[in-house]
Amino acid sequence: MSDTPTRRAVLAALGAGAFAGCLGGSDGSTTQRSPETEAPETGGDTTTASTATPERPPVPTVDERLPLPMEPASIEDNAVSGGPPKDGIPSIDDPSFVAAASASEWLNPGDPVFGVTRGEETKAYPQSILVSHEICNDVLDGTPVSVTYCPLTGTAMGFERGETTFGVSGRLVNNNLIMYDRATETWWPQVLSTAIPGPWREDPQIQSLSQFRVVWTTWERWSSAYPDTTVLSRNTGFANNYDGDPYGSYNPRSGYYQPDSGTMFRSLSDDDRLEPKRVVIGTRTSEGAAAFEKRALRDQKVLHGALGDTPIVGVYEPTLDTGYVYRNPDEEQYEYRDGQVVDAAGEAHDPTGLPGERLLALDAMWFAWSGFYPDTTLYASD
Amino acid sequence: MPATEHRIAAATGTFGRTRAALEVAGGRTDSRLVFAVAGVCYLAAYLVTVGDLAVVDGGSGRLTVRTAADFSRAFVSLGFFRFDAIAILSAGPITYLFSPLNVLLGLSLGALVGANLALTYLGVVQPRACGLESSTGVLAGVPALVSGAACCGPTILLVVGVQASATIVTGFQFLVPIAFAMLIGSLLLVGRKVDPELL
Repeated sequence: MSDTPTRRAVLAALGAGAFAGCLGGSDGSTTQRSPETEAPETGGDTTTASTATPERPPVPTVDERLPLPMEPASIEDNAVSGGPPKDGIPSIDDPSFVAAASASEWLNPGDPVFGVTRGEETKAYPQSILVSHEICNDVLDGTPVSVTYCPLTGTAMGFERGETTFGVSGRLVNNNLIMYDRATETWWPQVLSTAIPGPWREDPQIQSLSQFRVVWTTWERWSSAYPDTTVLSRNTGFANNYDGDPYGSYNPRSGYYQPDSGTMFRSLSDDDRLEPKRVVIGTRTSEGAAAFEKRALRDQKVLHGALGDTPIVGVYEPTLDTGYVYRNPDEEQYEYRDGQVVDAAGEAHDPTGLPGERLLALDAMWFAWSGFYPDTTLYASD
Repeated sequence: MPATEHRIAAATGTFGRTRAALEVAGGRTDSRLVFAVAGVCYLAAYLVTVGDLAVVDGGSGRLTVRTAADFSRAFVSLGFFRFDAIAILSAGPITYLFSPLNVLLGLSLGALVGANLALTYLGVVQPRACGLESSTGVLAGVPALVSGAACCGPTILLVVGVQASATIVTGFQFLVPIAFAMLIGSLLLVGRKVDPELL
């Protein structure tokens, strides 16, 4: 009886392992388009050659390009696979909505929701649903939009999508979702909101998306402020268990969402002015970036600062527990009294209605914000 | 029975001996029970780690079934050998996402784990077949459980506290194939030591 394994036995085991390997499938990095994509091609004067740059971008963009921390090609170099392949995390492309009373049966008061009002419509998108889909392609007040959420960076952002839809590429940069548009397969990192080169579209026009404010709040606050709101339905058409969050919990806060926990993938930030997951309300324009620590804004109600050379002011809004940022060109000194923001002359304003231009702001985890905007100013607790 | 004994006596080589040992295991009620229980337990553990099987608070006692709109989702890979589900079954505290391909993988791995355990059991209870050493096959099933927990992004690393580098993410792709290879290898390694005349 021989004690050495026969060569046949070893080869058989390896063969079985290789056969099992065939079940894995590709990670979607080929240019094969997913079959369920039905997005119509955008109109415009596209030439017939597939490598020619169309004259119009595939989705609505803005004139002013947002700041990038490095060259677009370097951002692509920093992209990694998050695990699932393209559309492995399926976007919700045909959402349905339920009334607030019905949603209260499965939404706890303290559960995070992402709220949007546009025209006559008011909608809430629960974090517990979007954590499994990250993108909801919807229509708001007649405008096609995408409400997007990246769990690993704690960012909920809204974009106009035009005639196409956004999907989840499966890749991440600085732990942040990289979206792709289904018309041209261009990569759009969510927080940067700007096109970068990618393996499916190597030479896009580097432009920034048209973004609108999505408010990160709780179900209790949103439904009290907007009793007629509708809520994204759990009947998404996918077999998902929306009672579980794979990363942790927000109500109460635990796991990945705890302020001092680490990131899952390598972060671009080495700025430790705040703990990595500490939430800031950040704003950025072509002039620069600024962030207000949300906890400090809650405590102090009004924080004066600067974005590049422009004075700005961040104010706390108590009914939704959020913050808004305004240009403050005259360096008006504001104070918070009884829920109102009062200027030096004694004129009172609601936190949602200061006279200066309101800047688009978003909640973000500190590591994500400082990784994407390394030159950001930060206004925090002492 | 004379015919079986003749076959067992004629078994030679690693495959032959392993098959002989498995035949004996399959012919006895106690080892069949070990195979079945081990297989079912592993399948359950596998389904939990890939996220298909969950125990949540509350829930009604009645069984409710909801199906996905698109059954072709069953073939969509979610990464790391995890596939999408096409139906949700809830009964009381248990919520189960039915993914046919995940079940297939879990059953295959569970069958191998069960076979490993059944042979180990035989080695323990049948002193005549003392050629059977204790099988390390059960541990060989662990890589697949780890990969299951690494479904949508290596969340298992959150528990362990390790940051996912590109190398780790690439390595996760191999956990299920490695588990298969180790389980089969372990089975053969045990089987080749069996002296058929002792069975």
